[in-house]
Amino acid sequence: MRGFAQIKNSRATFVEHKYLSILKTPLEYSGTLTYSAPGHLEKQTLRPKSESMVLDQNILVVQSGEAHQKRTLSLQDYPTLWAFVESFRSTLAGDIDTLNRFYHVTLEGHHDQWLLILRPIDAKIKNLVSEIRINGSLEQIDTIEIRESGGDYSVMNISKDNS
Amino acid sequence: MKRFNRNWAIATWLFFLAICIFVVSRVQIGADLSAFLPRTPTPAQQLLSEQLRDGVFSRLMLIGIEGGTPDALSQASKLLALRLRSEPGLSLVNNGDEDSLARDQAFLLENRYLLSSAVTPEHFTPEGLHSALENSLQLLGSPAGIMIKHVIPRDPSGEMLHILDGFAGQSQPSAHDGVWVSRDGKRALLLAQTKAPGFDIDAQQHIIELIHTRFTEATRSSEFAGLNLVISGPGVFSVHSRDHIKGVAFNFSIITSILVSIMLLLVYRSWRVLALSLLPVISGTLAGIAAVSVGYGIVYGITLGFGITLIGEAVDYAIFFFTRLAPGKPPGTALDKIWPTLRLGVMTTVCGFSPMFLADFPGFAQLGLFSVVGLIVAVLVTRWVLPNLVPGNFATHTPAFLSAWVMRLIRQAPRLRPVVLVAVLGAALFITLHQGPVWSDNLSSLSPLMDADQRLDQSLRRDIGAPDVRYMVIVSGKDREDVLERSEKLGAQLDKLANNQTLTGYDSPARYLPSEKTQRARLEALPEPAKLQANLRHALTGLPFRENLFGPFLSDVAAAHNRPLLTPEELRGTNLGLQTESLLAQRKDGWIAILPLRGVTDALPIQQALANQEGRPVLLDLQLESDSLYQTYVHEAIKLSALGALAIVLLMFVSLRSVRRVAMVLLPLAAAVIITTAIVLASGQKLLIFHLIGLLLAVAVGSNYSLFFDRESGSDDHDENSQRTMLSLLVANISTIIAFGMLAFSGVPLLTAIGETVAIGAFLSLLFSAVLMGQRVAR
Repeated sequence: MRGFAQIKNSRATFVEHKYLSILKTPLEYSGTLTYSAPGHLEKQTLRPKSESMVLDQNILVVQSGEAHQKRTLSLQDYPTLWAFVESFRSTLAGDIDTLNRFYHVTLEGHHDQWLLILRPIDAKIKNLVSEIRINGSLEQIDTIEIRESGGDYSVMNISKDNS
Repeated sequence: MKRFNRNWAIATWLFFLAICIFVVSRVQIGADLSAFLPRTPTPAQQLLSEQLRDGVFSRLMLIGIEGGTPDALSQASKLLALRLRSEPGLSLVNNGDEDSLARDQAFLLENRYLLSSAVTPEHFTPEGLHSALENSLQLLGSPAGIMIKHVIPRDPSGEMLHILDGFAGQSQPSAHDGVWVSRDGKRALLLAQTKAPGFDIDAQQHIIELIHTRFTEATRSSEFAGLNLVISGPGVFSVHSRDHIKGVAFNFSIITSILVSIMLLLVYRSWRVLALSLLPVISGTLAGIAAVSVGYGIVYGITLGFGITLIGEAVDYAIFFFTRLAPGKPPGTALDKIWPTLRLGVMTTVCGFSPMFLADFPGFAQLGLFSVVGLIVAVLVTRWVLPNLVPGNFATHTPAFLSAWVMRLIRQAPRLRPVVLVAVLGAALFITLHQGPVWSDNLSSLSPLMDADQRLDQSLRRDIGAPDVRYMVIVSGKDREDVLERSEKLGAQLDKLANNQTLTGYDSPARYLPSEKTQRARLEALPEPAKLQANLRHALTGLPFRENLFGPFLSDVAAAHNRPLLTPEELRGTNLGLQTESLLAQRKDGWIAILPLRGVTDALPIQQALANQEGRPVLLDLQLESDSLYQTYVHEAIKLSALGALAIVLLMFVSLRSVRRVAMVLLPLAAAVIITTAIVLASGQKLLIFHLIGLLLAVAVGSNYSLFFDRESGSDDHDENSQRTMLSLLVANISTIIAFGMLAFSGVPLLTAIGETVAIGAFLSLLFSAVLMGQRVAR
């Protein structure tokens, strides 16, 4: 975990599957992730529709490619979103303190194959998300699984882009 | 016969006093913030002042809890809100908690087919539904997906999201633990709406006390130690300024009375003289309050505060009387010799106060009426009653060394002529070369509110995210339905302008309460159940949604058909209802709707769009309005002061009948005005119109001194009498400085400005009169 704090920049591609009870088939999204320490994170969804989310410190800018709609949000105003975002960003930054602020954190496994389980503290968020499971090996995140409280879940597979 | 006259004067006086006391005992004291708004405003100003008086804005209270950890603040906010919600005096309490948010959301969801402007027949065709469902599918993939997935079975056409999109851009306060907090987390925030209007000060005071009591009860436990409560809002302002001015009027009049009494005792060394000297003051004050009460029905607190000055002014006449009481002369004749001069002095003083009386602002008019009546009664009592109350052989003994000392000073004064000349030239130069604005250009400078109150209000409003609205459109119509329909038509225009980036958004009462016509049209746009089901089946082709998912949608639409139309009553108790109420108002001649605009980049296209609308909606630029309102004040003040000054000059010409003498009387006053202005500017202040009023009063008061100097320098007998007159001028001047000087410490901007200007100006007037005319007086 602490090894993450050493990482300054990284780039990866992702494929995400969402399994929702209201849908017959899962939704699939893919795109790229870019991170630069300590607080900058970008998620570019390329398929099926392009959408970008850029997080810089506490400001999130969401832009959907088609409608040229741009929304700027301050994380403090959206606690649920904030908690979500930190599950990923603080893990990458090795920022245990921030993780502890939002989640009950458990770490299983060992250095080259580990599992981080985050359970929301806030009751309101707990109503939406029961847990977030992050799998990784060494200083890399392999999958992020978000389990929603109603049984819906999503899995994001991340592969490091070495180019 | 003489005896009869004497008794008659006293009896009349006592009878008059009794009437005054009766009127004063029933007086109603107000602190209406609109006291200083003009009586004949433009329609826009009328609207502003109506809203200030009893609009929904006037009933808002902003509450902050400070001084603890974020957890303690949030907890205290919840406990306080819980208690306040059961108070019958409050119609709404909001601290941003989930309950009230959920109530609003539930209301929107329940009434979405009446409220959403996207409800059109096309929206529910197979094609319309298909594209709406595709949109929902995309949202499911975004972070917002987790929030909306529960709503999709009820609302696949996305009405709820469409409604919420309309609110976008309205800032919300931050939250901690589910309740509103300021951005820095140091203050928990609540919003309350009182049932009583803002001008009902007693009711507002009661509510404020109640909130404090409930807060104390809610935060008794030790975890809340150190928390404190702050409240702001128009009602709070009214209560505070009434309390503060009451306090100022009471405490300062006592202090002023004591100081003036001490001075009188030092000079005359007689308790009897002291007691008698206060009679004209008391009579004048009572008569002044009674006159205002009869004339206006209500006495503003600020008028009472200003009344302090009367103590300093009215006592002068008694001082003139007692100083001239010499042994062996009947008291009735003491004032005979100086009466013409004294009468002229009173008349110039009245001229100085009259412009205020004529002002279009009820607040000023009261101050003017109060002072004019007070002074006239005081001088009449001094002239006709006071001599009858002292024994025939009564004489005052002023210390001889004091008179001698005063005469010596007066004899030396003319040596200062070069100094005064240089000072006046320097001051005039300073005023001409003064960098930056001489006049304060801000309407808020007229506000009778204390700085601290204003600062607290601004910071609470910032925290709660109440936007600073500069532009708003006023739509008028014959009834509510009429203005709602017009607001909707206007809204369509504004939507277009928003797409062109002319503005970022707007609010409209029709957003929460659409007109009945529109509500009916929306209901008619909803297909019959069988038709809707068929359309939906078509729409779902090629989309991954499960079958039978949309049962709630079909039953909600069917239910919407049978729902009665939305009424204002149903909105009540939600935050949306509060919003609607604040945007709609019933007036004498119909209804108006207020549409605040956000992020206006260019007012011109909006102006043009409005020109084509029926009912002549008005674009109100609050900045412009308040500036022009302020200009009205400044012009009125300048005009009236000029008239007052002119009246004084004319009066002197008529009485003195000599250009040279008028010039001699006016020169010291002009010098005093110039130097006083320079001093006020040099102290870093901008001139307020109150300073202008103050300068005129300084001239009015100062003319008493220069007139007496003129009289003495023109008369040939320089006996003990003239020494006594000079001494009385000094004593009168000191009492004026005490009274107006005290006002300068009142903490009420208006009173402070007038107080400091008159105190400085009156002192300089006496000094310069001595400098200019001392030679001839003290020959």
